[in-house]
Amino acid sequence: MIRLQNIEKVYRTNTIQTLALNSINLDIEKGEFLSVMGPSGCGKSTLLNIMGLLDVPSGGTINIDGQSTISFSDKELAKFRNQKLGFIFQSYHLINDLPVLDNVEVPLLYRNSTAKERKTLATAALEKVGLSNRMKHFPTQLSGGQRQRVAIARAIVGKPEVILADEPTGNLDSAMGNEIMDILLQLNRDDGTTIVMVTHDEFMAQKTHRLVRLFDGSQVQ
Amino acid sequence: MFKHLFKMIWNKKKQNSLLIVEILLSFLVIFAVFSFALNSYNNYAKPMGFNYDHVWAISYNHTLETKNPDSVTLVYQTLLRDIQSLPLVVDAGYASSNIPFGSNHMSTGITTNGLYVDRVNNFFMDENYVNVMGVKMLSGRWYDKGDLASKTNIIVINKSLKDKLFGNTDAVGKFIGDKPENRKKVIGVIDDIKTDGDYQAPTYGLYNKQDTAAYIWMGRILVKVAPEANAAFEGQLYKLMAGRLKKSNIEIEHLDNKLTAYNKFTLVPLIILSIVAAFLIINVALGIFGVLWYNINKRRGEIGLRRAVGAPGSSVSAQLVYEAMILATLSLIIGAFFAVQFPLLNVFDLPASVYLFAMLFAVVFIYLLVLICSLYPGKQAAAIYPAVALHEE
Ligand SMILES: Nc1ncnc2c1ncn2[C@@H]1O[C@H](COP(=O)(O)OP(=O)(O)OP(=O)(O)O)[C@@H](O)[C@H]1O
Ligand SMILES: [Mg+2]
Repeated sequence: MIRLQNIEKVYRTNTIQTLALNSINLDIEKGEFLSVMGPSGCGKSTLLNIMGLLDVPSGGTINIDGQSTISFSDKELAKFRNQKLGFIFQSYHLINDLPVLDNVEVPLLYRNSTAKERKTLATAALEKVGLSNRMKHFPTQLSGGQRQRVAIARAIVGKPEVILADEPTGNLDSAMGNEIMDILLQLNRDDGTTIVMVTHDEFMAQKTHRLVRLFDGSQVQ
Repeated sequence: MFKHLFKMIWNKKKQNSLLIVEILLSFLVIFAVFSFALNSYNNYAKPMGFNYDHVWAISYNHTLETKNPDSVTLVYQTLLRDIQSLPLVVDAGYASSNIPFGSNHMSTGITTNGLYVDRVNNFFMDENYVNVMGVKMLSGRWYDKGDLASKTNIIVINKSLKDKLFGNTDAVGKFIGDKPENRKKVIGVIDDIKTDGDYQAPTYGLYNKQDTAAYIWMGRILVKVAPEANAAFEGQLYKLMAGRLKKSNIEIEHLDNKLTAYNKFTLVPLIILSIVAAFLIINVALGIFGVLWYNINKRRGEIGLRRAVGAPGSSVSAQLVYEAMILATLSLIIGAFFAVQFPLLNVFDLPASVYLFAMLFAVVFIYLLVLICSLYPGKQAAAIYPAVALHEE
C-alpha cells in the first residue's frame, strides 16, 4: 500500500542543518496496522508527514497505492490526500468555531458532494465513534477523548484507505487512550483500513501488527 | 462551502464585529462623498441658463442729496441711458443686489392654492434684464417700459417655481399668492439659472416688477459689453459712474471672475471631504489588511488542517477572500439600511437618484477595496506549509 525507498529529509535553517530522516525503507501492506516508536525528535512526525504528502522528502521515492507521488502538483496532492488519506493529530486540530457535525464534514467540502450527502456521511462517521449525541456541540464543550473521537470521525468520513495518526492518544489518560485505540483497531479489523500510528506507548504499540523503531532519523527495528 | 464559511463567520461574530464596523463606517463616508460629488456633477451638467461672458456688475450706493423723487428718477434713468449708449456696451439694466454668483441672497416664502413654498429667491430686475443676461423666456413675456408706470400686480416666475406650483400646465395668466395683498398675476415664465454657480442646482425664483422708487436701493447695474471691452473702457465706465453718483462706492466686477470664485464654495469643501475620506480609506484598508493578516496567523492550525484533508492552496486563499467578502456584505447590508434613509426621509433635499447611484458606487468601491485588501493575505495563507502549520500547536 505504501512503499518508501531511501527516504531522506534534511531541515536547513540559517545556522544548522538537521538530518531528520536517513535512508528509510519501508513497505506497508494493505490492511496493515503499523506503529512507529522512538525517542522525541527522532523523526516520527516527519516520517508520517512525508507519508501523508504534507511534506516532501529531500531524497528517495514514495509510492502509495501504486502511484508515485513525487511529481504531483499541489492540486493533485490535495486531491490525493482528500481521497486516500485520513489524518489524526495529537492536538486534534478541530475548528473551534464550528459544531462537531460541521467539523466532520470539512474533508467532504473539498470533493463534489451535496450538503445532504455530507450530513449523512458525517452523521454515520460520528455514530461509528459513538458521538451521535454530540453533533451540535462545539469542540470546546467536549472532553479530550471526545475531541479525538471527532477527529477520528473526520478522518474516516471520506472512507480513506489509509489513516495516519500522530500520537492520537498522546494527550489522553489511559482510559480514554484505550477507547481511541479500540476504535482504531476496529477500523483496521472491520473496514480493512491501513493505519500508521506514531506512539510513545509500548502497550498500545503491542496491539498493532508491526512496530518500527526510529533512532536519530534511522530505522533501527 | 458558502454556508460553511457563513456559519464560521457567524459563530465568530464577536471577533469580526470590529471589522464589520470599520467597513460600515468607510461605506458611510464613501456614500457621503459620492452623494456630494454626484450631486455637484449633476448640477454641473445642467445648463447655466444665461450667458455670463462679458457681463459686468457695477455696484453703487445711493448718495444723491436731492429728496425729490422725480429728480432721483431722472438721474438714474439718464445714467442708464448714457451707459447704454457707450460704444462698447451692448445693453445694461438695473438689478437688485442678489445678482448671480454674489454673496447676497434675498428669499421669501409664498403660498399658492394652499401650497406653501419656502426659500424662493426674490429678485428685482428692470425691463432690460432678459436682454442683458440672455435668459430665455419659456412662455409669456418679460416686463417692458409700460409696466414701470402701471399699478397692476404682475409677476414673472422661473421654471422651477412654475413646475412646483402649476406642474406641467402653463402658468401665464394664473395667480400666485393666496392672500389678497400678495396676489399677483403671472405674465411670464423665465428659464432657470444657476445663480449659485456651476455646482449648485437652480432654486425657485420670483422676478418682481421694478418700480421707479427702487433705484435708490437696487444697488447694481448689469452691463453686457462687447468682447473688445478692456481695462481702459472699464476705467471710462467707472468715471462715468463716479461723476453721476458722487461719493458713492463704485465697484465693477466681471461675472466670469465671480463665478470662478463662487464655485470654490462648493469645490473646496468637496476637495477637503475627499482628502479626509481618502485618508480614512487608507486607514481602513490598512485595518482590513492587518486584521486579515492577523487572522491568518492565528488560524495557521486551521489552514494546515484544511490543507491536510484536501484543500489545495488556491482553495485556502479563495476561502479567505470569500470570508472577507461575506464580512463586507454584512457591513453593506447594515450600511444600505442607513443609506436608504436619506432618500426616504429626504434629508438635504437631493434627488433620490443621486443617493441611489452614490450607494451603488459605494458598494462597488467597498467590495473592490476589501477584495484588494484580502488578495495578498489570501495568497500568503496558501503559501503556509501544512506540515509546519500542523506541527505548531
Ligand atoms: N520545520 C522544521 N525545521 C527544522 N527542523 C525541524 C522541523 N521539523 C522538525 N525538525 C527537526 O527534525 C527532527 C525530527 O522532528 P520530528 O518532529 O519528526 O520528531 P518526533 O520524532 O516527531 O518528535 P516528538 O516525539 O517530540 O513528536 C527534530 O530534530 C526536529 O528538531
Ligand atoms: Mg512528533
